[in-house]
Amino acid sequence: MIVTEINRLFGLKYPIFQGGMAWISNGQLAAAVSNAGGLGVISSINEGEEALRREITTCRSLLHNPDFPFAINVMLMSPQAQAAADIAVEMQVPVVITGAGLPTPYMKKWLAAGIKVVPVVPSTGIAKMAARLGACAVIAEGGESGGHVGDLTTMVLTPQVADAVSIPVIAAGGIADGRGVAASLMLGAAGVQCGTCFLTAKECGVHANYKQKIFQAKDIDTIVTGKRLGHPVRSLKNAFSRQFADMEYNTNLSDQEIESFGAGALRRAALEGDVQNGSVMAGQCAAMLHEEKTAQQIIVDMFAQAEHVLACAGKFLTEEESHA
Amino acid sequence: MIFETVAKILGEYKDVDPSTITADATFASLELDSLDTVEIVMSLEDAFGIEIDMEQPLQTVEDLVKLIEAKKA
Repeated sequence: MIVTEINRLFGLKYPIFQGGMAWISNGQLAAAVSNAGGLGVISSINEGEEALRREITTCRSLLHNPDFPFAINVMLMSPQAQAAADIAVEMQVPVVITGAGLPTPYMKKWLAAGIKVVPVVPSTGIAKMAARLGACAVIAEGGESGGHVGDLTTMVLTPQVADAVSIPVIAAGGIADGRGVAASLMLGAAGVQCGTCFLTAKECGVHANYKQKIFQAKDIDTIVTGKRLGHPVRSLKNAFSRQFADMEYNTNLSDQEIESFGAGALRRAALEGDVQNGSVMAGQCAAMLHEEKTAQQIIVDMFAQAEHVLACAGKFLTEEESHA
Repeated sequence: MIFETVAKILGEYKDVDPSTITADATFASLELDSLDTVEIVMSLEDAFGIEIDMEQPLQTVEDLVKLIEAKKA
């Protein structure tokens, strides 16, 4: 077994969080991950307040044990952030994951309600601020991840965040198998968050075309667009992302025109299955995923491999000096 | 005095002459993104011995100066 502070802090069998993916992470997926011993996460920016309440209720109804924890993800840049923040308190959601900034305006209320808050951080500065605000852990998310991305990679961000804060760090971005889990622990993390691999889970309700597109992806098949707009996004290369990239370089187009071209693109791919004209957000690890598995199987396989590679790591240590 | 210290720290961060930084300059015009802003706020906390909660989004150098003035008061 791999046991870290994250297992104890959140009451998990495995120190793994599922990433909060807009339009994709619903109550059904979150419950599957939580039932498998990880932390399931519901995205709060799908279809508004009622939908969020419904997904939380769905998640609770599917949990095998009412004490299994789950979380909602509050995207702080979203106009729905305030409403989601209130719903977390009202519905006594055990854990809140935040993204895109610092959750300063909501922290007092969440902590008073006994909610554990885990911000996603793209830099050591944000990590330190988050710890000071009362976060119980932070997620150091490298730019290998899908969706909204930062500049730093998981390899360099994780150890620096681990050095910067005394609360546990969860590594995210590029982790899709046990080697990634083992490496994360070696980098100073106490757990991992995975988005793309749970996107392909059997219990994930994303359109079948979306999953297929991920299974077909090669290592070089993702692209980051939207840098010009200040919020870069990683997705799979397709007609949509190529055109978006072209439009970014076109100085005759206003930012607003580009924004409106991108509006609704994720929904188009995730719900309607238009994987050519929609945004198929995915991390660089998409190419490491080949088959649909249950959330349980994903986690079991990942941690079995992690245990194996960690157990074998001693082979690199020797008393002999090498002159090779 | 507060403005001068803020301008000095911004100048060091951006490697520009502090005298070129004006109160009405926006962080965007100084090519500082939200991550840079956090780093600067932390340097200012050390310089002034205060804690700055970024409850409101900071747009200009003056916003930052006012926030520090309020904390120091």
